[in-house]
Amino acid sequence: MSLDTLPAAALPAAPPPRRGSRQGGARMDTVTKLVITAVVLILAILIGYPLVRILTQAFGAEGLETLRNIATSSANRAVLLNTVVLGVLVGAVGTAIGFAFAYAQARLDFRGRKLLHLIALLPIVSPPFAVATAVITLFGRSGLVTNKMLGLDYNIYGLTGLTLVLSLSFFPVAYMNLLGMLRSLDPATDEAASSLGANRWKIFRSVTIPMLIPGFASCFLLLFVEAIADLANPLVIGGDFTVLSSRAYIAITGEYDVASGAAYSLVLLLPGLLVFLVQRYWAERRSVVSVTGKPSGNITLLRSPLARIPLLTVVLAIAALIVAIYVTVFVGAFTAILGVNNTFTLANYRYVLSGIGSDAMFTTTILALIATPVAGVLGMVLAWLVVRKVRRGRGALDFLGMLGLAVPGTVLGIGYALAFNKPFIIGNIQLLPALAGGGAIFGGALAIVMVYVIRSMPSGQRSGIAALQQIDPAIDEASTSLGASGLRTFRSITLPLIRPALLSGLTYAFARAMTTLSPIIFITTPQTKIMTSQILSEVDSGRFGNAFAYCTILIAIVLGVIGLMNLLIRDRRAPARVN
Amino acid sequence: MATTTSTSTSSGTPVQARPSGSLHLDNLVKQYPGGVSAEPAVAGIDLDIRPGEFLTLLGPSGCGKTTTLRMIAGFETPSHGSLTLDGEDMVSLTPDKRPMAMVFQSYALFPHMSVFDNVAYGLRLQKLPRKRVQEEVEFALASMSLTKLADRAPNQLSGGQQQRVALARAMVMKPKVLLFDEPLSNLDAKLRVQMRTEIRALQHKLGITSVYVTHDQDEAMSLSDRIVVMRQGRIEQVATPETVYRKPASVFVADFIGRANFLDTSIEQLAREADGARATVRALGATYTVPAHDGIGPGSPVCLMVRPESVVLAPAPDAREVSGTEGRVLKSVFYGAWVEYEIETVGGNVTAVIYDPAPGDILDPGTFVRVSFEQDRAWLLPAED
Ligand SMILES: Nc1ncnc2c1ncn2[C@@H]1O[C@H](COP(=O)(O)OP(=O)(O)OP(=O)(O)O)[C@@H](O)[C@H]1O
Ligand SMILES: [Mg+2]
Repeated sequence: MSLDTLPAAALPAAPPPRRGSRQGGARMDTVTKLVITAVVLILAILIGYPLVRILTQAFGAEGLETLRNIATSSANRAVLLNTVVLGVLVGAVGTAIGFAFAYAQARLDFRGRKLLHLIALLPIVSPPFAVATAVITLFGRSGLVTNKMLGLDYNIYGLTGLTLVLSLSFFPVAYMNLLGMLRSLDPATDEAASSLGANRWKIFRSVTIPMLIPGFASCFLLLFVEAIADLANPLVIGGDFTVLSSRAYIAITGEYDVASGAAYSLVLLLPGLLVFLVQRYWAERRSVVSVTGKPSGNITLLRSPLARIPLLTVVLAIAALIVAIYVTVFVGAFTAILGVNNTFTLANYRYVLSGIGSDAMFTTTILALIATPVAGVLGMVLAWLVVRKVRRGRGALDFLGMLGLAVPGTVLGIGYALAFNKPFIIGNIQLLPALAGGGAIFGGALAIVMVYVIRSMPSGQRSGIAALQQIDPAIDEASTSLGASGLRTFRSITLPLIRPALLSGLTYAFARAMTTLSPIIFITTPQTKIMTSQILSEVDSGRFGNAFAYCTILIAIVLGVIGLMNLLIRDRRAPARVN
Repeated sequence: MATTTSTSTSSGTPVQARPSGSLHLDNLVKQYPGGVSAEPAVAGIDLDIRPGEFLTLLGPSGCGKTTTLRMIAGFETPSHGSLTLDGEDMVSLTPDKRPMAMVFQSYALFPHMSVFDNVAYGLRLQKLPRKRVQEEVEFALASMSLTKLADRAPNQLSGGQQQRVALARAMVMKPKVLLFDEPLSNLDAKLRVQMRTEIRALQHKLGITSVYVTHDQDEAMSLSDRIVVMRQGRIEQVATPETVYRKPASVFVADFIGRANFLDTSIEQLAREADGARATVRALGATYTVPAHDGIGPGSPVCLMVRPESVVLAPAPDAREVSGTEGRVLKSVFYGAWVEYEIETVGGNVTAVIYDPAPGDILDPGTFVRVSFEQDRAWLLPAED
């Protein structure tokens, strides 16, 4: 789930539309109108309808009761408070780690920067439980480090563990974001400050930090939302520390109370949407600071030991922790019970690769492979519409697409369960059969593909928008003026030019689909087994070895498919310059 | 573009175009969405563009030239008004359906296609046979001396070559109308002059109606059959380059095109003759009979335009002060082919340009001179309020 927000954050948010992109003033051709209608319809089904269902459910009689309860009952208020505290902690710690890594990467001179970069990105391709289970194995009650090595009786479950695990899982978002900003700061501002007599520390305090404040704020908010929306980790390492998402999960799966589940998740939805809007506001400000284009000088890297040693110590310690976690996952997969019975075994893999495990592996990969191109193309088309075609309502269209990212997975899952567990009937006509749940067509697989699509499409949308804004709109117009219809122009001009963006969109889409858990839990069926929810049940019943085996396989599949995609879609021509 | 061209030739060689391409703009208005009180970018434009004509839109930045051109191309939908090509309504057509081709300021070449593929793009869209596409493209490339570059990518070309490809790509379509938006403004001065000549020659040969946007006067003067001078979304004057220069319709046009002295004066006598009005006026201490704008009545406030090169200077050895026809040189700048003087006169300061000055003939500041002008080259026009 670490991937849930990365693309939006890692890519520069769309600057406000340039004056140049004024094709919206033209009369639209029929095909373009049809495309817009189709896209809006698809989005309405994929995200609009489930959201509407959640709202009606939460504001129904039972839902309202729960909402009132959240405000009044002390138990519920505690849950609410827990959620906020967790969000704030993860936001602060994650942003700090991200900044330490980014600053070291961009401004420190040391060997192994490349390696550090890769380590910082590791948590992105990992399945939701890898970090939590490894942390429990290392630092839990009978943990390798805490108990076996140090002999402590230490309890990692609860807020500490959650903060640690979530911060480590989500900090790459902050890292990418801040690294991008640090790199795009014009070195000339540093040079100007130093020519005015500021020393390095002074420059850092009075120039660098203030320019990054919007970045810090948006990272904090993003991590906040990620943390409060996360479901997998609170289930595994939360202990008695209940948060809204786990409360909603318990309401639905334990108490069979869908209305309260919807009400709890509604409380999650609001901050998610709010942060999304705030981010856009900050993003516009930020675009004033970080002008793209060639930097006009070279950053002088920091060599002074006074700055280097403390920062590097912190960064390297965290990097070592990340490496330890992944080594634990890998070793744990080949061990009977890591820390208790350290004998080498292939039993975990045997279990995972036979029967249920291989079923889940196969199904998940197939479904993700189906969803990926759909999400990629949908994201590109949407980006194209937003940047080039739609003028009035472009903000709304963009927002509609981004909802897939802004809506917490728990909310989305409950929405899907509500919307698609029964056939969609208006009057006497059945418009849609049941798509999710046990009795659904294709054993509920369709709903899972839909979740994958809507969940991973926004990454393509974002990278598509960023790429399109680099391309002179006159290129599109030239094609139109030569007689090409809107769709034709998209196919033979726009699409080839944004191929790299499409590729990165597809990569993210696939990785995200494979690692998505929280929406899946609510709609998975006995016929359609999904790896992430299989991992959850292994972890639940304490079979960490199997979970580790699943995790390594999942990582291998993700990396393998991403590698293949890179080979397949790579542009064979010399890199073309875009005007 | 898709509709017209394929029938015109049977071989690959372009022929003299048919007498079509008459473009008619009627009260075209464009109000961009935004403030309600905002002035429209284009505030009602009427134009009759004749088949094969080369028409230039000229005006200061922001006067609505690009907007007008983009409405013709179809990239902006007019808020009001009509646009017809050979009697056929264009407003309801999307840009791709209009038999026009546009050349962009940024060239807008497709960066992922070779030069050949760029030029072939539009023809392929028309589903012409392969061989035909090949012939037409080769002909177009040859006529722009691009044959050797056919397989290059656009980013391997110089600016001038890129512009040539952009031209070839538009011309190969044999559109009824060619639209240019400042196509030469990214080139250096010398190349600009060369391309200017090439565009004109090619347009003449093909006889395609062309609308050309620029804010470079020289470009407009040297290329156009007629110039449209625009100001704040309106047309100030439509006329041949010579008329625009010699008989500007307003002080704005006179000021915008070339340089001009504006002298305050009043009409003593007004006569209408076959070749236009003539007025007797007093200026610079003398009486002149000058051609006058048709809109001038006996009592209307007027202003006399005198171009610097029609100012005549004569020696005034006896003069001691600025009075009557005598003035004093304030400033003198030598430009090689001409000298420019600033002269203080009773009617205010006057700029004079004397071409091809003889050695030793240059007047120093402080020298007194007798100032007059060639009256047939002056122009009396309504004063700006
Ligand atoms: N997409 C747009 N939205 C709002 N206003 C616009 C838009 N495009 C142009 N304008 C405004 O319309 C007016 C005319 O613009 P236009 O681009 O036609 O000028 P122009 O004559 O081509 O100027 P230049 O010589 O600088 O290219 C300007 O005031 C401009 O600010
Ligand atoms: Mg313009």
